[in-house]
Amino acid sequence: MAKRPPITNRVKELREAHGAMSQAALGEAIGVTRQTIIAIEQGRYSPSLESAFRISRVFGVGLEDVFGWAGD
Amino acid sequence: MSFHEKSAWVMGLIMVAGMAFYFRTVAAMSEGLDAVAPPVLPLVIVYVVVIVVLSIIGHILIAFSKPSEADGAMDERDKLVAARAGNIAGLVLGVGLISALGIYLFTYDGNQLFHAAFGVLMISQLAEYAARIVYYRAGV
Repeated sequence: MAKRPPITNRVKELREAHGAMSQAALGEAIGVTRQTIIAIEQGRYSPSLESAFRISRVFGVGLEDVFGWAGD
Repeated sequence: MSFHEKSAWVMGLIMVAGMAFYFRTVAAMSEGLDAVAPPVLPLVIVYVVVIVVLSIIGHILIAFSKPSEADGAMDERDKLVAARAGNIAGLVLGVGLISALGIYLFTYDGNQLFHAAFGVLMISQLAEYAARIVYYRAGV
C-alpha cells in the first residue's frame, strides 16, 4: 500500500551545511510541517515539484543538487 | 508525530470504542428475542453524542500536548494522506453497503439492514483512520 518513492535527497546534508538549520525552520520556509521535512529526509515522502523547488531555492542550489533518482 | 497523525489515532480509538458500545448494546437488546433488535433513536443519539464529545476532548488533549502545532492547517503531505485514506474508506463503504443490501435481499430483515449499514459506516471511518496512520508511518 505504502511503497517508498524511488527518489533520494540531500536535504539533511544541505540543512546541516546551512548553519544547522532546523527541520522546523526549513518547514516554515517552504510551507510544510516539521514532520513532513522529517518524512522527506527519511525517504517516506517525495515533495511536490513546487516544494522541491522551494527547498532548492532555500539552499541556493539546483533541483538536481538536492534530489536524485535511486540507482543513478 | 504530527497533529493530524495524533488525531487519526484518537479518532480510530474512539471509533473502536463507539462500535463496541453500539453493538454490545444491540446484542444485549436482542437477548430473548428471536431476531435482531430494532434500531432505536435514543441509542443512535447517545452514540453520536458520545463520539462527538470524546473527539472534542481528545483533540483538546492533543492540542495541549503541543500547542504550537494545534492550529496548523494540513500541508501537502497531510492532504495527500487524507485523500488516499479517503479513497480506501470510500471503497470499504461501497463494498460494505452493497454487501448489506445483498444480505437484505435474502433475509428481508430491515433491522439487520439498519445495523449492518450503521456498522459499515463505522468500519469505513475506522478504515480511513487506520489507512492514515499507515501512510504517515510507512510513507505515501
